Amino acid sequence: MTKLKPLGLITFFVLILVNLPFLVIIPSSFTAAGYLSFPPEGFSWQWYTMILERPEFIESFWFSIKLAAITAVLATLIGTLAAMALHRYKFRGKGIINGLLLSPLTVPSLIIGIAALLFFTRIGIAGTFTGLLLAHILISIPYVVRLVLTGLSTFDYTLEKAGYMLGARPLRVFWDITLPLLRPAIVSGMIFSFLTSFDNVTVSLFLVAPDTTTLPLAIFTYMQETLDPLVASISSVVILLSLLFIVILEKVYGLERLFGLNSQSH
Amino acid sequence: MTMNKRLSILLLTAPSMIVLLGVFLLPMLLMLLLSFQNDEQAFSVENYLLFAKDPYYAEIMWRTIRVSLWTVLCSLVLGFPVAMFMAQATGKMRGIVTMLILAPHLISVVIRNFGWVVVLGEKGWINEVLLALGLIKEPLRLLYNELGVVIGLTDSFIAYMVLAIATSLYAIDPSLSKAASILGASRVRTFFTVTLPLSLPGLVAGTTLVFSLSMSAFVTPALMGGTSVKVMPVIAYEQIMATLNWPLGAALAFLLLGSTILLVTLYTRLIETKRYKEVFSS
Repeated sequence: MTKLKPLGLITFFVLILVNLPFLVIIPSSFTAAGYLSFPPEGFSWQWYTMILERPEFIESFWFSIKLAAITAVLATLIGTLAAMALHRYKFRGKGIINGLLLSPLTVPSLIIGIAALLFFTRIGIAGTFTGLLLAHILISIPYVVRLVLTGLSTFDYTLEKAGYMLGARPLRVFWDITLPLLRPAIVSGMIFSFLTSFDNVTVSLFLVAPDTTTLPLAIFTYMQETLDPLVASISSVVILLSLLFIVILEKVYGLERLFGLNSQSH
Repeated sequence: MTMNKRLSILLLTAPSMIVLLGVFLLPMLLMLLLSFQNDEQAFSVENYLLFAKDPYYAEIMWRTIRVSLWTVLCSLVLGFPVAMFMAQATGKMRGIVTMLILAPHLISVVIRNFGWVVVLGEKGWINEVLLALGLIKEPLRLLYNELGVVIGLTDSFIAYMVLAIATSLYAIDPSLSKAASILGASRVRTFFTVTLPLSLPGLVAGTTLVFSLSMSAFVTPALMGGTSVKVMPVIAYEQIMATLNWPLGAALAFLLLGSTILLVTLYTRLIETKRYKEVFSS
């Protein structure tokens, strides 16, 4: 075990570093002072009650939740259908379709955002909810496709056949056999799409209307002008919410598998 | 191919293909065409030439590359030991480390950057501690410069480096290191002659990934670099959203993408054709 020591120390240091932002934000959000300081002075919930007095943050929070939820449902639906076609059938152009489905991952978000803005302006949906939603669906689809394809790789088609032989209709087979077996992959796809949309800044930046903005973007804009404990309290709320999803994701699918697919994509 | 099967494939893939076409392929094409437009809306390459003519843009490109290279270096130096630790650790320990290094990635980069601003600022945690200990007399400038951006980007992307290298390390047969030490190699020698060469594919994947991500990062340079660290994504954003010179903004974004691809290709060619060819061919 002795040879692990230096490596263990560096690992410990790096783990502290990557989690430092959260270790700092949460205590700072309970400060009784009117500014960010170290160590936080006193204890108070004032910065949490302050959030309630800022309608722009409440509105953008619900806006983000709505956007992320619809993105998650639609991206998962669209991505799952495509993944099922890719896995079940052999056809011409399959390689191309597979490559296309993953391609949004290989292009920087910045370019996806700019391209969408230019095109959406032409067709008149720039600054609309539809435009923003479509762009979020686009960046979530690759993850869903990869997750569902991985889920399908261990899928046993004889189970479906058995269903048909016992006289079940196609829809019944899908609902009672296919879907339950794919559930972990589909649920992970949905959660991952939700988080992808909920955290996104770089694509949203180009597509939001001035009066309806997403929460990360509202924080981004606020932070460039003012740095106060309000950002800390809002961030803490988001951190807790994200943690909840991360725990579910870890339980359902495993983070390592999830990121394995992420790093192969570039 | 039966009619039925063809219809199924069409119905299953149509929704995703429509989204890809309408939100990705056509927009990219339009953006490309627009980048070749001058003020009179005629075809011209002047947006791209501006880059060669105006040293301002060349400097920004060089700054973007420099910041990205520093980020790669920091992620590599800090990430490699973590990957090695993970490769040597037991299953349970490996799981904990993986979780702790990956979980932050699923929380918004804006929030992580805010945390760093609180830590690194003039009245931040680091400066307050160092001042209290009497180690420094004036607050260090850790933010709103290139150092701040490198710290923020390293934090953002180190997990990709760790995971890429760890995947390579997991695949190394442990008996190779054992053989090396039985044959009398020191631990350092074993590292440089066995572990490092065999982990090269992961190392190349990790460095390439972190470099590409850093080149196109917008949020961290904007929040942790402030107005003084202008990088390519930031000026492309300004041209699109503030100056409203869309052709120039589009051209800048494509120049950034093009140079990233070019540098990454040169880098991988250089490494893969050199000494360690056989590692990559396997």
